[in-house]
Amino acid sequence: MMAAATIAHLKATSPVTTDEEFAKFCEFFYRKTGIQFKDGKKYFVERRITDRIEKTRSDSFRDYFTMVRFDESGEELQLLVNSMTVNETYFFREDYQFDALVGGILPEIARTKPRVTPIRIWSIPCSSGEEPYSIAISILERWDLADSWNIEISASDIDSKILHTARKGIFSERSVSRVSAQLRSKYFTTRLDGDFQICEALRESIDFSLVNVVDPLHTRRFREIDVIFCRNLLIYFDDIGRRETVEMFFDALRPGGYICLGHSESMSRMSSIFLPRKFKESIVYQKPLSAE
Amino acid sequence: MALVKASGQATLPLPEPARDLATLLADLAAPEPSARRAAAHDLAAHPEAAMDLCDRLETEANPSVREVLFTALIHLQSSSVAVRLATLLRSDDVPLRNAAIEALQEMPDAIAPHLRDLLADDDNDVRIFAVNILAFLRHARAPEWLAEVVRSDPHINVCAAAVDGLAEVGGLEALADLEDLRRRFDGNAFMEFAVDAAMRRIRGE
Repeated sequence: MMAAATIAHLKATSPVTTDEEFAKFCEFFYRKTGIQFKDGKKYFVERRITDRIEKTRSDSFRDYFTMVRFDESGEELQLLVNSMTVNETYFFREDYQFDALVGGILPEIARTKPRVTPIRIWSIPCSSGEEPYSIAISILERWDLADSWNIEISASDIDSKILHTARKGIFSERSVSRVSAQLRSKYFTTRLDGDFQICEALRESIDFSLVNVVDPLHTRRFREIDVIFCRNLLIYFDDIGRRETVEMFFDALRPGGYICLGHSESMSRMSSIFLPRKFKESIVYQKPLSAE
Repeated sequence: MALVKASGQATLPLPEPARDLATLLADLAAPEPSARRAAAHDLAAHPEAAMDLCDRLETEANPSVREVLFTALIHLQSSSVAVRLATLLRSDDVPLRNAAIEALQEMPDAIAPHLRDLLADDDNDVRIFAVNILAFLRHARAPEWLAEVVRSDPHINVCAAAVDGLAEVGGLEALADLEDLRRRFDGNAFMEFAVDAAMRRIRGE
């Protein structure tokens, strides 16, 4: 067990890892999650490791790292992942992609897909839920064929804690600042503490799930997807991690399906098997219709 | 409402039993591209399969399978893999050749010992592709090798490719070589333009 004085000492004498230990930790974390930390992130990473050392009452980084690596339940790794992920987002972020979805992508899907199968949309990483809920509201409000189709929205994240938040659907004023008063009154209730909770019907319509994109066991149930929103995830991966993730998406999409990436991300340096498509202000990427 | 909840699984499926090497190698020739992709993906965990993956690249026509083959080979990168991929620089299949260049850029330590041979190849095009690899190679000596091309390669297009590379990764030490190159191709407007652009970029202007 670690004495409080020792913890204080750990905090005061940061760094808690030698360069070699830090490199080993980053390699381990990368292998488990695909997320890569550059040297500039050392302070960010070490602060979170220190916190986990303290919470698990480990004696040192070495003890803690041993525990994480050999914990068969994977619980501590999950808590570590939760602490390392960045979850800052808000409703209708990069909304030109939602314009593309309702104005171009969905109408095109509706022209080519048999009506008997649902349209499947996958939001990953979904963080605290703003993106999948924004997708849902955009479709309900702005796609005139919405009522003619069954639409499934799946939303996944590697962070189990943030998924819990997403399922609850409670958001701050800042998070909903881009939601109009009319939409707020239609889809949210204002809570006594001033936060906003999204309506139960929307909460119940989205399938939230824990997914680590580098684990095939997690991803193989996602098949025949029509649209994937994967925004600002691949920037945390190295080149090979990006390639593998994009290949996983290729398998998850139905032929003719689309991927929407973040504004700073481009498929061109990751893969040549998708076709760039322009819908209004957005460039999205399509799995060729002829792909098997 | 138009939204229906997807039938997500509350628990993860059990892992599939790992397929043995022989099965995976056989699946590399399966009729369905998805089976070939899956085999190539899983073979990334088998270093002994590297040459089989290289063999498959030479016959595989499906772009999505090729892509997974290249990714697996990046995982398994070695000097032998780099040599096999370098042979694709002579291919007339442009997407295959470009994919080989991109894959080789991802294996700096594996390709580095072979770059001098490629840069001395009799075929101008192969030397251009070698320069293309260098321009995005995460290797400390890449700028130095590019400068060497600028100093010594007789072909204007190879030199122009090296100038583009130096514009990306070169430092101030490359400026003298670029000036010399301008003089070597004196009067050539394209080279004049390329050298000026690279020098401005290196100086941060």
